[in-house]
Amino acid sequence: MNILELQHLKKYFATQKAVDDISMVIPKGNIFGLLGPNGAGKTTLIRMITGIFYPDSGSITLKGKAFDPENDARLIGYMPEERGLYKKMKIGEQALYLAQLKGLKKAEAIVKIRDWFKRLEMESWWNKKVEDLSKGMGQKLQFVITVLHEPDLIILDEPFSGLDPVNANLIKDEIYRLAQNGTSIIFSTHRMEQVEEICNNIVLVNKGKKILDGSVAEVKQGFKENLFSIQIENIPDQITANIFDVVEKKEQQIIVKIREGYKPNDVLSHFINNGSSIIAFNEILPSLNDIFIRLVEGTPTARQFEKTTL
Amino acid sequence: MHKIILIIKREFLTRIRKRTFIISTILFPLLYLGLIFGTTYIAEKTKDNLKIGIIDSSGLFKADMIAVANNMDTAKTLTLVTENKENFMAHFDTLGYDGYVVIPQNFSWKNGIDSANIIRLNTRKTFGIGAMEPAQKKLNKIWEQIKKDSLGIDTVKQAIINRTVSLRQSNEKNRNSNAESASVIGYVSGFLMYLILILYGSQVMMGVTEEKTNRIAEVVVSSVKPFQLMIGKIIGIGLVALTQFLIWISCIFIIYNVSKAQGGAVNNASSVVGSVQNVFTSVNILLVVSCFVFYLLAGFFFYSSLYAAIGSAINEDMREAQSLSFPITLLVMFSIFLMGAVIKDPNSPLAVWASIIPFSSPIIMMVRIPFGVPNTVPYWQLGLSMLLLIGGFMFTTWFAGRIYRTGILMYGKKPSWKEMIRWAFSK
Repeated sequence: MNILELQHLKKYFATQKAVDDISMVIPKGNIFGLLGPNGAGKTTLIRMITGIFYPDSGSITLKGKAFDPENDARLIGYMPEERGLYKKMKIGEQALYLAQLKGLKKAEAIVKIRDWFKRLEMESWWNKKVEDLSKGMGQKLQFVITVLHEPDLIILDEPFSGLDPVNANLIKDEIYRLAQNGTSIIFSTHRMEQVEEICNNIVLVNKGKKILDGSVAEVKQGFKENLFSIQIENIPDQITANIFDVVEKKEQQIIVKIREGYKPNDVLSHFINNGSSIIAFNEILPSLNDIFIRLVEGTPTARQFEKTTL
Repeated sequence: MHKIILIIKREFLTRIRKRTFIISTILFPLLYLGLIFGTTYIAEKTKDNLKIGIIDSSGLFKADMIAVANNMDTAKTLTLVTENKENFMAHFDTLGYDGYVVIPQNFSWKNGIDSANIIRLNTRKTFGIGAMEPAQKKLNKIWEQIKKDSLGIDTVKQAIINRTVSLRQSNEKNRNSNAESASVIGYVSGFLMYLILILYGSQVMMGVTEEKTNRIAEVVVSSVKPFQLMIGKIIGIGLVALTQFLIWISCIFIIYNVSKAQGGAVNNASSVVGSVQNVFTSVNILLVVSCFVFYLLAGFFFYSSLYAAIGSAINEDMREAQSLSFPITLLVMFSIFLMGAVIKDPNSPLAVWASIIPFSSPIIMMVRIPFGVPNTVPYWQLGLSMLLLIGGFMFTTWFAGRIYRTGILMYGKKPSWKEMIRWAFSK
């Protein structure tokens, strides 16, 4: 089942096409990476999904029904990139107020807040003010406020910025736990290593358009360059073969690019027949970071390859 | 609707619980009281009560006459000197006197001393005119008594002479109207309205800017519509203003009456009661207060929504706020400039139109209403003014709401008024 379906969403501003015909689908319980360079239209897209902006055209379907910003607020939790809390308001009251705005009953909200505060060791914060918190603590509070009302869809914009590794792991574990319980999470970030680690699926947007869509594994497969790393004892000085080209040569390792029409087995046979003793052999997949940069810079793959071989 | 109430509640409670609210609510009337009592006290304190000995060589000045003259005020200024004159003249300051006068032997009841009639007050310090005046009055009072005695005017004849007529305005339509009370109430209402509009209007502006720069706005508008957030804030702060007004208004009536009683010659209970009655009967207090509540809320909505629009457009820099809000502050101030002319002639066309046009009506109508409804302000004027103000604030909140929903999520450069108007009329 899909939590969210976007169909041909468009939002044009006076100066630019912020979102230009984007469609995508987010399955239930999926951790979904929304990637794109600055100014790609991510924030505008998120603001349409959270009901802050109305799309110029296209449709948003939430849990199988047309999205109704006014009544569906409870289904969505949104943590903006720039954190926002009332500095002078007591933390307990603030969490309660924002939960009630989402549509929770007071008693219900208090139980949930206490539960979350207990789990994330924030019980002593109730009567403190936000201005007394450190940046990381504020982040934790913001996360709790975002997920408190148990939304079906959580949108996190750079949730780990400013968090120390311990707290980042804490939040990460909570994200996994939520996803396991069926919550879908849209995770917007620039940090590709986090995306690779956390996300199931990704969408890459640039200049208001979707340029990539799929699972992390699929995307990596789609961008692989048939590169393999081989570790051998005693690398021969001269390697000549019509099966592959040597891309890089290190002390005990060579990186090869297999030519079209050949298979990894052919490479292995080549070295076995040579009498080399193979220690390791594995495929090198591109990192999302590489893919991201390659796509966004618009540099043709071929040229980049030429550069490395020269 | 439920969410707007939540927002109103938060705005109202966080503000009313703030120390600054409690302090300003208490401090304002106290400051006002302090100012009135302080100045009266200082005036009383700095008035020199001279103690003057009278050395009478004419034999006309009698002790009982001096006693009567001394009763003109609380200070026993004059004393008839009966002891050794030379000794007194030499040592009057050590005897506790500030000075002495010598009534010459040739003082006649008819002509006094001579054509100039100057009596010299011998002192060893210099005293101001303010200190001399009561003494001079008393001496003349004594002479007056001497003249009456010599002319044979007894208390019965004196009572006949004392009879006077007084001129009192009687408005045929409204027997109770009293221009003096009306101007005071008009002035106080107009000024209070001005204070509330400016103070609470800028609170709305700062509140909106705070939400914007804290980025809480983005979190909240994912739960409620921007318009709900804006209107909730405006109503919440409006209720704070109303609460403060209701606390003040009760204080102000007390202060006004107390201060009026202070101004009177005799400071006793009956005059306080009298002046309270005077104010309450001369002006329809219930009407004034209920009109004030209407104009306070409607005027507040009118202006504070504009302030909210500005608050949404600016960023952290408060100078931006000043330059953008200046035209609005000027509109409010314009009414204050008109106030003097309106009080002088509440029926002039200027007063009538200024009390009907929405942007000046909250202040100017409140200046006019104490002069009487429906005599000074006919019902049609009041009704038209109220209708136009309701229409006016509906327009400004709509207009502001359009600017607000764009501005609250827009960061970076401060927009100009022209750009803001374009936001308002874009789809």
